[in-house]
Amino acid sequence: MANVLDLRRRIRSVKNTRQITRAMKMVSAAKLRRAQDRAMKARPYALMLTNVLESLVRRTDLIDESGETLHPLLVEREEKNVLVLVIAGDKGFAGGFNSNISKAAQKFIDERRAKGQNLDMEPIGKKAIGFYKKKYPAAFYEHTDKAYDNDLAHHIEDIRQRKAPVEVAAEHADILLKGDFERISELANSIIARYERAEIDSVYIVFNEFKSVISQRVVVEKLLPIRKLGEHEITASEEMSEEQREAAARAAQTAGVSLYEPEETEVEREAKKFGTAEVDYLFDAPPSKLFRHLMPRYVATQIFHAVLESTAAEHAARMTATDAATKNAGELIDKLSLTMNRLRQAAITKEIIEIVSGAAAL
Amino acid sequence: MADTTNSELLQVRLVTPDSILVDATASAVELPAREGYLEALYGAAPLLAELGAGEVRLHGGTAGEQTFFVAWGFVEVLPERVTILAETALHPNEIDVNAAQAELKHGQEMWDKAGDDAEKYDSADAVIRVAEEKISSAQGKH
Repeated sequence: MANVLDLRRRIRSVKNTRQITRAMKMVSAAKLRRAQDRAMKARPYALMLTNVLESLVRRTDLIDESGETLHPLLVEREEKNVLVLVIAGDKGFAGGFNSNISKAAQKFIDERRAKGQNLDMEPIGKKAIGFYKKKYPAAFYEHTDKAYDNDLAHHIEDIRQRKAPVEVAAEHADILLKGDFERISELANSIIARYERAEIDSVYIVFNEFKSVISQRVVVEKLLPIRKLGEHEITASEEMSEEQREAAARAAQTAGVSLYEPEETEVEREAKKFGTAEVDYLFDAPPSKLFRHLMPRYVATQIFHAVLESTAAEHAARMTATDAATKNAGELIDKLSLTMNRLRQAAITKEIIEIVSGAAAL
Repeated sequence: MADTTNSELLQVRLVTPDSILVDATASAVELPAREGYLEALYGAAPLLAELGAGEVRLHGGTAGEQTFFVAWGFVEVLPERVTILAETALHPNEIDVNAAQAELKHGQEMWDKAGDDAEKYDSADAVIRVAEEKISSAQGKH
């Protein structure tokens, strides 16, 4: 059996661990507050963009006289090649955050494989990249450069050569760290280009949706083709369990993070009215042309929104996990202290008995 | 110069994907629309326009004299309100000229490599235009 000294060392070590997890929890809480703030600030832009698009849709026909759809992103095709964006975290120690996402993604992959569809994975965040790179081969593009007209002109094209049913199309390690809109715009443009040349027939995004600490879920959202503007088309979702919700609420309360969704700001209320006034606007360009320029931005804001929510969810998950770790460390310290005190008392009692019986023997 | 009593000020908002940069009043706003600059004053006819690369300039009101470089945007002009959606908005002194030069070079490379693809020329052209506007905005040449 361990002696008092060993136990004292053990307690000291657990206390140190508790201090670290407590600090990590406070750091995560601060990061969470910042992430929530960023998500809030991003809302007016997204609302306005959606509104402008909607009011343009009301003013033009989505399908013109020749039967052509107004924008390639509205075209629906049979789903043969499906692109899946998976947003996980850059770091671990966040409870079930990363594994919940890969579980939801795996379920989606299995379902689609069973239907005979091909999948392209596009992981965002280091954890997801590491996971999918090991599992699936990278997509291969054949670069062609054909010269014609006596070498005066070139036709350059990268042609996709599919070798496996599930491949990793691209990976994005730096998006979460910076979270800037420009990078996400690039990603959106590359996805749109692939969609337009029919390399992919639909796009889904798997991420952790975050409304507040106690209201979040892992969702599979359909990004393309766009069926209805301004609506999130959720095809599958995994809600939090009651237990998780309680743990998250406890962590949030002790860290001073609000449990509820922040209230709508005045700017947001006005953002909802953007481009929808009951007046006849003058357009400086035909609505259909404006529509073409707005659509890629709309897709980018959708991805941006998912990235921001996922970042908030990651910090919330880490806050909850480190809070649980802090609590467990506390319980362990209590248990060890009790054992140590009992041992010490036993030693004292033993010594007294020895003295007393020694005195009695004289 | 128009008379700028309080009742004749425009409510101006400049919103980017990650923040609200300006929420103030101004007597006039210059906007870099695709087809050239336009200026919005109080009482203007309702207008929806796309913004190209260029400078948004605010005059008068609580905004004072302010200039922002925008790369792409969208504006709604109502008689008493101007709301600008901008994908990127920077103060001219925030612009990294070296980075803009690199973007310009990248754009020219894209142009050289575009082959016979009209769309690639368009996107190269867009990159070059944004970079050029950025550089001239940083140097205060407008």
